[in-house]
Amino acid sequence: MAEAVTRTRRHLPLLLALLAFPSAVFAHRDDQYLQATLVAIEPSGVRLQINLTPGVAVAQQVLAQIDRDRDGAISKNEAAVYAKLLKGDLTLRIDGRKLELKLIGSAFVPPAELRTGAGTIQMEFSAISGPLETGGHRLALENRHLTTISVYLINAAQPRFATVQITRQKRNQNQSAGEIEFVFHPLRPEVAGSGARS
Amino acid sequence: MVLLGVGRNSFAQTNTTPGAPIAAIVAASKKFLATLDDGQRGKVVFDLKDEAQRKRWSNLPTASFKRQGLRMGDLTKPQRDAVLVVLASALSPHGYEKILQIVEADEMLRKSSGGTMFGRDEYYISFLGQPSATEPWMIQFGGHHLGLNITLAGEQRTLAPSHTGAQPALYELEGKTVRPLGRETDKAFGLLSSLNEAQRKQAILDFQMRDLVLGPGRDGQMIQPEGIKGSALTENQRQMLLDLAGEWTGIMHEAAAKAKLDEMKMNIAETWFAWSGPTEKGSAAYFRIQGPTVIIEYAPQRLGGDATKHIHTIYRDPTNDYGIKWQKP
Repeated sequence: MAEAVTRTRRHLPLLLALLAFPSAVFAHRDDQYLQATLVAIEPSGVRLQINLTPGVAVAQQVLAQIDRDRDGAISKNEAAVYAKLLKGDLTLRIDGRKLELKLIGSAFVPPAELRTGAGTIQMEFSAISGPLETGGHRLALENRHLTTISVYLINAAQPRFATVQITRQKRNQNQSAGEIEFVFHPLRPEVAGSGARS
Repeated sequence: MVLLGVGRNSFAQTNTTPGAPIAAIVAASKKFLATLDDGQRGKVVFDLKDEAQRKRWSNLPTASFKRQGLRMGDLTKPQRDAVLVVLASALSPHGYEKILQIVEADEMLRKSSGGTMFGRDEYYISFLGQPSATEPWMIQFGGHHLGLNITLAGEQRTLAPSHTGAQPALYELEGKTVRPLGRETDKAFGLLSSLNEAQRKQAILDFQMRDLVLGPGRDGQMIQPEGIKGSALTENQRQMLLDLAGEWTGIMHEAAAKAKLDEMKMNIAETWFAWSGPTEKGSAAYFRIQGPTVIIEYAPQRLGGDATKHIHTIYRDPTNDYGIKWQKP
């Protein structure tokens, strides 16, 4: 994901088309905020890649949290404030120990595109786990962001390092919370797994 | 082959044998390009390394996600027919029929909703690179619920990544019931019903899957597999799994489909099958097939209506999306 950037693409024609033909709304997720998180566990820490896609019917509600001055654009400051809001709604633990999340990248599409239901906000957070002991560990992630309008996906990324092996994943029913059990073998060669990317 | 649609804008039967060798696909593509004027040609051919165009595909309708290339509704009848010959030459008979049925479902949606963003006219064709019998190039064809990315490199070719979907996923046309993704659905329930209780316990995930995990826009990501591993299936169940996957790999013409299935067969012990949702036949449930060289997801869309009638699927190859193995750096 790119370094903290606010994309400035203008897709006004898309919005106008959508407004002209509102039947597109029923054809796709319209009243839900999809929050899809990919959890990449690495020897030195954890990365969370989060894709946030508001449906048409909830886009304004989400935008109210982002474009605070209602000027139709998302400033760097507004993007940072929203990232902080999201970060505050996430809890990441390894073996019960809470990890501090740090925003390492974000990409915001313009409000006009978000209102179409096709726009996705991307955010990436990292957390330093500190030295992990050899053996089994448990990562727990909870997402409490905009719970009344959201649906969630939480998945472990296929590890890029042979020293990390995912052994089990568990989620609650709506995937707002998940646990990933993994084994850390520091003596195994740190080579990228075959075809594994995250 | 089923004749779909009538009238000026119909997606109709072609007289080309589907699944032709590379020379025929190149010839069909060049023939289509020859029907275009300079302005149209400038819009339809992109550089093979144009990453933005390569990734410009989606499940969404064109009003929500803007494609580039040439829009079917902007082409003349001979030009549209030439596009269909390109598709028919690159795909298997079943694959070509499935694509037509997906497009026709969108035409049904247009008629029932009045939304002009839907329908046969709203599909786009584009090429990345020049049609060649030896060098890599791509054909892209897509619109709402369809994103075909066909990479060709000599006699090698791949459909990964591609999106298929349908809404409605069941409709009547010319007195016949059409289910564009019906075989996928039936074969998945067939495989599930073949599992014993212990196998089901492994295969069935105890949480909701509300969408595709690796759908359009998720290039380069790969998730940890879940569910039941191929090594825990019987030989018959492994065959059923391959047969199910064949509904995606088999969209391509026979030789390419066979090569892909042979590859999957070699990796079958390392290929996983996961299920989420109800298990009653015909209900709206998510499933996933994931192996070293394939990931397939099938996700009914719960949007207040009947989720069995609105389906999204994705097909990827984590080792060779966009034929990356065959392209020069």
